[in-house]
Amino acid sequence: MKDRQKYIRNFCIVAHIDHGKSTLADRLLEETGTVASRDLQEQLLDSMDLERERGITIKLTPTRMHYKYNGEDYILNLIDTPGHVDFTYEVSRSLAACEGAILIVDAGQGVEAQTLANVHLALDNKLEILPVINKIDLPSAEPEKVKKEIEEVIGIPAMHAPCISAKEGTNIPSVLEGIIKEFPAPRGDENAPLKCLVFDSYYDNFKGAICLVRVFDGSVKKGDKIKFMQTNNAFEVTEVGYFTPKAKESDILLAGEVGYIAASIKKVSEARVGDTITNADNPASEALPGYKQVKPVVFSGIFPVDGNKYGELKDALEKLKLNDSSLEYSPETSVALGFGFRCGFLGLLHMEIIQERLEREFNLDIITTAPGVSYHIYKTDGEMLEVSNPSNMPEPTQIQVMEEPYVNMHIFTPPEYMGAIMELCTERRGENKNVIYLDEKRVRLDYEIPLNEIIYDFFDNLKSRTRGYASLDYEISEYKPSKLVKLDILLKGEVCDALSMIVHVDKAYERGRIMAEKLKEVIPRQMFEVPIQAAVGGKIIARETVKAFRKDVLAKCYGGDVTRKRKLLEKQKEGKKKMRNIGSVEVPSDAFISILKID
Amino acid sequence: MLSSKFALYIHIPFCVSKCSYCDFCSFVPKEKQVKDYINALKKEIITAGQRVGGRLVTSVYIGGGTPSTLPPNAIVEIMDCVREHFIVLNACSVTIEANPNTFDKNKAKEYMLAGCSRLSLGLQSHSPHILKILNRAHNFDDCEKAIQNALFYNIQDINVDIMLGVPNQTMKDVKETLKRVVKLPITHISAYGLICEPNTPLTRSIEQNKLSLPPEELAVDMYDYTVKFLEKNGFYRYEISNFAKTGYESEHNLNYWKRGSYLGLGLGAHSFLDGTHWQNTENFKEYIKNPTLCQKDIERETIKTAKEETIMLALRTTQGLNIKEYNEMFDGNFLQEYRSVLEKLLKENLIEITNGVIRIKNMYISNSIIAEFF
Repeated sequence: MKDRQKYIRNFCIVAHIDHGKSTLADRLLEETGTVASRDLQEQLLDSMDLERERGITIKLTPTRMHYKYNGEDYILNLIDTPGHVDFTYEVSRSLAACEGAILIVDAGQGVEAQTLANVHLALDNKLEILPVINKIDLPSAEPEKVKKEIEEVIGIPAMHAPCISAKEGTNIPSVLEGIIKEFPAPRGDENAPLKCLVFDSYYDNFKGAICLVRVFDGSVKKGDKIKFMQTNNAFEVTEVGYFTPKAKESDILLAGEVGYIAASIKKVSEARVGDTITNADNPASEALPGYKQVKPVVFSGIFPVDGNKYGELKDALEKLKLNDSSLEYSPETSVALGFGFRCGFLGLLHMEIIQERLEREFNLDIITTAPGVSYHIYKTDGEMLEVSNPSNMPEPTQIQVMEEPYVNMHIFTPPEYMGAIMELCTERRGENKNVIYLDEKRVRLDYEIPLNEIIYDFFDNLKSRTRGYASLDYEISEYKPSKLVKLDILLKGEVCDALSMIVHVDKAYERGRIMAEKLKEVIPRQMFEVPIQAAVGGKIIARETVKAFRKDVLAKCYGGDVTRKRKLLEKQKEGKKKMRNIGSVEVPSDAFISILKID
Repeated sequence: MLSSKFALYIHIPFCVSKCSYCDFCSFVPKEKQVKDYINALKKEIITAGQRVGGRLVTSVYIGGGTPSTLPPNAIVEIMDCVREHFIVLNACSVTIEANPNTFDKNKAKEYMLAGCSRLSLGLQSHSPHILKILNRAHNFDDCEKAIQNALFYNIQDINVDIMLGVPNQTMKDVKETLKRVVKLPITHISAYGLICEPNTPLTRSIEQNKLSLPPEELAVDMYDYTVKFLEKNGFYRYEISNFAKTGYESEHNLNYWKRGSYLGLGLGAHSFLDGTHWQNTENFKEYIKNPTLCQKDIERETIKTAKEETIMLALRTTQGLNIKEYNEMFDGNFLQEYRSVLEKLLKENLIEITNGVIRIKNMYISNSIIAEFF
C-alpha cells in the first residue's frame, strides 16, 4: 500500500505579499479541473471578504486537487498560507503539514523581505523548495536575473525554476510537474497507530470545532474514538473529509492525506492547533512535534462605543477566538471608556484585522486604545512585572529598571532610498546592524529597533518615504533595558487613563505636545474651560486649553415652545450619553477614535 | 388633576408680510380667509367654553401672526365671544400683539373697547439695515407713534420686542436701539436672541453664505450689555429674555413658566390643560372645516416630563426653582434626586442655591445647564 502515498504531494505556496500567491493557487485549481474557471471567483481560497479586499490570506484552506501526469493519477494537497509577517506562526503551522513549498518570486521585483523570511521558515521545517518565477508577462520582468538573485541571496538552485504568469495562465503545467518531480511523497505507516497533526481549526455551528489535519500515520474514519495527546480530551469522530475547496465528506483519511475531522468538539480550545490526534484505545507512543505557541506582541484596549454593548463585544471576541487562537483578550476597565477588553495581537495587521472584523462582521462600534507592547519592569523590591497596559505601570519611584522588546528588522530597498530609511530608523531609535548590497539595484538594511517604535506608523512612513519600493520584515529578538516613562493626559486635572501611554523618555515631550494639540481639536467646548495637560510623573510637559462656550440658544419659551424645547433638551441629553466622562469633562467617543487613530 | 384656572391664548395667523426669520404659523391672507377664520375661531371659542366648564380665565393673550392686521371690530367681536362663553376674571390682563405700522388710533380705540390692557409691539431694532434684513416693514418712528396711540386710549402696559444677534448687527446698533427704547414710555422689554429656524429665508441666506451671524463672542457681549443697560434703566430681568419695570411682569407668560394651565385657540395653537399637551392643526383648510376637532400631538404628561418641564421653565426665570415647592409637587427630594448634577454644576459655579432656591448663574448657557437635569 506504500504505492498509494507515492501519488500524493502535500505542499504550500510561500511568497512576499503581492507576488501572486493567491493567483497561482487559483490557476492550479483551474488547471487541475478542481474548479471550473467560470466558477472561479477571483482568488478563491481567500474566503473572508477582508482577505480578498486586502489581498492577503489570513486563514488556511487546504484543497485537494487531482492531476494526471505521465498516465498516473496524483493527489495534490495545497495548503494555503498567510503571507504577512504577523502570521509567521500560521505559516509555520501549514509548513509542518507539507513536504514541499513553492516559493514564488516576482520576476520584476526579485527577492523581498518576506520572501526571505518565508524561505527560512520552510528550510527550518526541512521542506523541499520549488522556486517559481511569476509575472513574466510584465515588461519589467527579468526572470534570469531573478533566478540568479535567488541562488545568491537565498542559496537554493533556481536555474530550472518554472517561469510563469499566473495572471495569464502561462506555464502552469510546469509548476504541477515541478510539484510532482521535486517534492517528496509522504511516507507514513498506514498500519501504525493514528498520528495526525492539527494545523488549524475552525468552528462550525452545526458540527462543532473542525480540525484541519495532516495524517502522518494510521487512518481515521467516522465512529473512531480519538484523543488529543496534549489535552487528553477524547471524542468520537462524526465525520471526516477533505476540501475541494468546499468541504466534502469521505469514508476515511489515510496516512499521507490532508483533510478535516469533526467530532462534536464543543470548543475550539479543545481542538488545539499544533496538537496531535491519535486513537483513544491504541495511542501512538509519542506526539508529533507541535509548534511553539506564539505570544502576542502588540496590545491594545478595545471598548464598545456604546457601553451597553459590552456583552456583544465579549461574544464577538469569543467567536473570533474560535477561529483565531492567536487572539488573546482579558477584561479591562477604564475610567474613561468603561468596560472593555485588553487584547493581544501578533502584530499591527492582526490588530487591524480584528478591529475590522468586529466592526464589519459583528456590527460593533469600537474604540481602540493606542497599541502598545509588553514591558518588563523590575521593581526596587525585586519583583518583575510584565506590563502591557500603561495603567498598570507602578510609580516611577518603585521602578529599578524597565526593558522593552526589540526586533531584528530587515528592509529591502533600492539604494536611492537608503538615506531616507536610515533617517526614519534613527528617528525611531533603530540601530543599524548591517548593510548588504544584493546587486546594483537592491540593498538589504538590517536594524535592531524597539518594537514599540514600529507599531505606530512605521509601515506607512516607510512606504511614503520610499514611494512604496521598500519591503520590510522583522522578528522579535530580545528585551533590552530602556528609559521609559508613562505619559499621562489630564483633562481638567483628571488623568484620562485611556490616553496614557508608555514612551521613551526622549519622545515624551513631542508625543505629549502632539496629543494635547490633537485633543484640543476634537474636544468640544464645554460649559467651562477645559485645560488639557500632558504629564510625565508629576511634571506638566505640554498644555492646551479648550475655552468654555459662551452661549447656547437664548430663545423665547412660551406656550407653544414648552414641549418642543423639552424634547430638544432631551435630545441634547441623549447626545450626552454617547459622551465619555473624564471627571466633569465630556469627550465624544469619536474624539477618542480620532485621537487614537493618529498613532 | 383638573386645572381650576388657566390662561387663554388666541392665535391670529395673518400678517401683512412675512418676516425673514419667522417660522410661526402665519401667512398673508385673502379677504375671504380672514372672514372664514373669524367664524371658525368663534365656533371653537363656543365649544371650548362648554368643554372647560366653570373654570376661571386668569389672563388672555392674542398673538400671531399679527392681530392688528384683522379688519376693524374683529378683535371686539372675538373678545365679546370669549367673555360670553368663558368666565373671565374681572381684572384679567388682556395682551394683544401689534406691528408698529398697523397700529393706528382706530386700532387703539378698538382694542381699548375690546378690553385689552396690554400691548406688545414688535420693534426688533432701531436700525433700518437690521429691519431690512429681518424684512420688517416699519421704522422706529412707527413704533413711537403706535405707543402714543395706545397711551391715548389708556393702554399703558406696553412691551417692546427687540432682537439680538442678527446678521450684520453691530454693538453700536444694539446700543442705539436700547438707548432709544428705554426712553419710550413702556413697561416691559423682551430681548430675544435670533433663532435660525430651518426653512426660513434668513436661514437660507445664512446657509448660502449671503449673510453671516455675528460671532459668538459679539453676540454674548451684546446680550451682556443689554442686561446691564436695561437693569440700569429700571428694567429688571425676570426671565432669560424678559425685562420689566417692577410690577409689570407679563402675567400671561409667568403662567407658562410656572407650568400653569393654558388653553390655546386658533390655528396651530398649543394647549396644556389637565396634565395634557396638545396642538391644534396648522392646516388652515382643516381648521376652517372643523375648528373644534382638529387637535393633534396629544401628549399626556408623565412624572418624567412634568419634572423636566418644571425644572426647565423655573430655571429660565430669575426667580429660580423653589426646592420645597418641587418636593411637594412631586412628593420627592430634589437635592437627593439630582445630587451628582448639582455637585457638578456647583463646582463649576454655574448655579447657586440660596434659601432653598436654585438659580442659574450663567443664563447664556442655560440650555446646557438645564439638559444636565434631564
